[in-house]
Amino acid sequence: MNHLRAFWMRLIGLVRPGRAEADFAAELESHIAMHTEDGIRAGLSPEESRRKALIQLGGVEQARQAYRQRRTLPWLEGVLRDIRYALRGFCRDRVFALTAIVTLALGIGATTAVVSVVDRILFRALPYANADRIVSIGLVQSLEQEEFIMGGFYFDWLDHQRPFAALASQGTMLHACDLVEANPQQLNCIPVQAGFLPLLGISPVLGRNFSPDEDRSNGPSVALISYGVWLNHYNRDPHILNRLIDLDGKPTRVIGVLPKGFELPTVETPDVMLPMKLDRAVQNKVNGGFGEPMRTFARLKPGVSIAQARTEMEPLFLHTRQIFLPPPLRNDFHMSIRSLRDRETQGVQLAAWVLLCAVLVVLLIACANVAGLMMARSAAREREMAVRWALGASRGRLIRQSLTEAFLLSVAGAAAGLALAEGLLRVFIAIAPASIPFLGKANLDLRVALFTVAISLLCGAFFGLAPALEKPRSIALAARAGNSSRHAILRRGLVAGQIACSLILLSGAGLLVRSFQNIEEQNLGIRTKGVVTAQIALPRFRYNTGQEQMDYYLRAETALRRLPGIRAVAITDSVPPGGWQDGYRYSDLATEENPHPTPGTGGTVVNRRVTPDYFRALDIPIVRGRGFSEQDRTSAQSLVVLSRLLAARLFPGEDPLGKRIQPGIYKGAWFTVVGVADNVKNSGLTEQNEPEIYFLRRSVVNDWGGRAPMMVIDSTLPPDTVMPWVRLQIASLDPTVPVEMKTLNRTIRSLASRPRFETALLGFFAVTGLAMAVIGLYGVIAFLATQRTQEIGIRMALGASRLEILRLILREGVRLVAVGGGMGLAAAFALSRLLKTFLYGVGPHDPLSFVAVTLLLALVALVATLIPARAAMKTDPMTALRCE
Amino acid sequence: MGEKTDIWQGTLALMALKTLETMGPQHGYGLARRIEQTSGDQLQLNYGTLYPALLRLEQAGYIRSRWGVSENNRRAKFYELTKAGQRKIRKAAAEWEQTTEILARFLSPA
Repeated sequence: MNHLRAFWMRLIGLVRPGRAEADFAAELESHIAMHTEDGIRAGLSPEESRRKALIQLGGVEQARQAYRQRRTLPWLEGVLRDIRYALRGFCRDRVFALTAIVTLALGIGATTAVVSVVDRILFRALPYANADRIVSIGLVQSLEQEEFIMGGFYFDWLDHQRPFAALASQGTMLHACDLVEANPQQLNCIPVQAGFLPLLGISPVLGRNFSPDEDRSNGPSVALISYGVWLNHYNRDPHILNRLIDLDGKPTRVIGVLPKGFELPTVETPDVMLPMKLDRAVQNKVNGGFGEPMRTFARLKPGVSIAQARTEMEPLFLHTRQIFLPPPLRNDFHMSIRSLRDRETQGVQLAAWVLLCAVLVVLLIACANVAGLMMARSAAREREMAVRWALGASRGRLIRQSLTEAFLLSVAGAAAGLALAEGLLRVFIAIAPASIPFLGKANLDLRVALFTVAISLLCGAFFGLAPALEKPRSIALAARAGNSSRHAILRRGLVAGQIACSLILLSGAGLLVRSFQNIEEQNLGIRTKGVVTAQIALPRFRYNTGQEQMDYYLRAETALRRLPGIRAVAITDSVPPGGWQDGYRYSDLATEENPHPTPGTGGTVVNRRVTPDYFRALDIPIVRGRGFSEQDRTSAQSLVVLSRLLAARLFPGEDPLGKRIQPGIYKGAWFTVVGVADNVKNSGLTEQNEPEIYFLRRSVVNDWGGRAPMMVIDSTLPPDTVMPWVRLQIASLDPTVPVEMKTLNRTIRSLASRPRFETALLGFFAVTGLAMAVIGLYGVIAFLATQRTQEIGIRMALGASRLEILRLILREGVRLVAVGGGMGLAAAFALSRLLKTFLYGVGPHDPLSFVAVTLLLALVALVATLIPARAAMKTDPMTALRCE
Repeated sequence: MGEKTDIWQGTLALMALKTLETMGPQHGYGLARRIEQTSGDQLQLNYGTLYPALLRLEQAGYIRSRWGVSENNRRAKFYELTKAGQRKIRKAAAEWEQTTEILARFLSPA
């Protein structure tokens, strides 16, 4: 307590030292005066008396020194002095300090932002209890790459599995459900089993989970609502529990509230959770005995690995396959068990690693840059250090001084870097594609901040110690410029390394830019300008028959066609080039020529059910035969249009018109081909086109089941004008129906957002890296040129022309660039294969990209070398020699 | 430096505190003289070491100081005991007595 108080007082003593010193001086003066008076009174002469007083005091300066040491914290005072000294040094050499801080900030900022983004994808535990023990389990097949399980064999698996402590399922996807109350709202609902939340280790923040009784068919209607619904819809009403809410026209009791930010393992956020109420007997009957599909998750028993679980489940899977699947389909189905993290972040893990590595390279360049700067500075200050050493500063003192400077730079860099990271993160989130999970929620947290500080300290220690450890040479005291050849070699190595690193980044970015250009400029096969899509969320409980739905859409079609400037209004279940689209296996298509295609072969076929105007609305040319006509809509005929790709595959070398096709899914119905449409980009922007078949959406109830259709509206007027009109027309039919409208261009832009994001980020890193490498190059060449001032002077005095001097300095730079560039090119060539999956229409060793980035680097490097070289060329030989 | 100084400093602090307790507020010079007198002029005090010791006591909150006027009409800084200082004296004196008692048993065995 008293020690603490004393420490505190001494700390306070650091501020306003002058006054306390003066105070003590006065005290000492009064002390000496009193002592002297006493002496005089005892008979001594004033001089003698004062002398004795001083002797007994032990000297004024010594007393002051002892007093000062006690009054403040001497070591801290030393540190403060070092800091003040360093700050003065930075003020003198602003360019140096600013370059170092900006470089560090860029490195640290970019690293922190990227680590914040990839943290959740690669490292952070998922928000469930012991999430690394949870797996996604089920079948996969060519049309469905995410694990699913059918109710028909789910119970068998539950009964006979051994590797899992628990299994539980949720529905395959969120479905729209309507909360009908004073202010009606359409929500996302998901059915889950009673064991689902316990499996994840999640408990409701309010109320309780479903009981087994509630999860039985004919069990009571109960629901868990999300935190968001509780907050926004019920205003955090504490009496929400046991309240009856009207869900899809059915009174449902709220029994609990989900935790804030709760996410399904499918990375979806439900508004309402309902009990799944699976019934073994029912599941064995519905859907032709297959039962309903579901997503199943399981918790591994302790000590069981995923590979073991796979082996143990294999017999069960083979048995199921034997019983449930017809022989032709068997080979297309596989069992898949993978960790939850793999399921959640599947596609982006590689991207995350690439970004992380890229940003670490940037950080490396930044650190090398600062190290180079510090070395240059220490070389320039060698004389000063030598003088201080000669005057009695200890090695430790000099090292401490250097470390203080490095530390100050690091802290300033870290602070600026953190601010930059915050900004960068906002930009990332703004341009981030929806397909990168968790990014929207990424934020700079304490861990990442600590990470930043650790990096900056490491950088500081690294580049601060290297120059400080060297013993100042006495020769440096002489007027001659120091002979720091060792420094120069190290610095040259650093710069060559920087150039190599930045070339790696540049070539990666170059490849991505080319790939992105290909994506943007490719021919999609459809017109996108002026096309608007409208997705209408019909409340199912009010439009619950196919007839009602069909009537609604047909009325909407008629209403929209009345609008001015409308060229075409079509109804379809999906639009190219990506997003959700229906499909089936190529081998499901039987023709009269080939009635039994080999099962499981030929990949997938995209399938769309469209009204006749579809081809006009998207401007897809019919290359043979005809499209659908308005008359076809009411005819009894079953018609299809094939894409050119499909026609060529089904009927190679023949005329496809008039041929008949029997799609397996329609169970025996034959469809007649009336036309062939040109190919459109139909499986995302970056994949190979797939064959496509268009079914006519006739005005009969059977053609309107399934997924809610969307309206495609093509207009001669700008979308901004058309969209409010469309909204008005749809509202006039039924004002309570929500409608979501988008221009096709925007849909496509959002499909390209992932490559855009990757390209933008890597491009940014490449430019940053290049800038820093060039600064490093400039620094080292300028430094070498200055060091050789006398040599240049002598050469000129001996008759060297200015051009020869220019060449002399240029040669230095060219050598560094050649060595660094060569290494970088080799490394980039080896590494670019990793980018293969990101590239579209360009190979990982695309010569144009490599040549372009090499030229860019060479050009920039040349400029960075020319500036100091020109300065050296203009050296006045007389001045240069006078330096000697 | 070293142990000798530490013991010396510790005892000097106690002497100063005790002197302040018996004499009331006192300036540094007077305190030094008084300590010398009390010791029967056995102690030759280096006056320069007294001030850091006083500062230390002040920082720990055992004494406080203010400027005043001495008996000879001279401006001087006066030190005065605080409540915490009085408690400290009692505690330190007890400890000291105990220490000397133990030490005495070693030095003059019965």
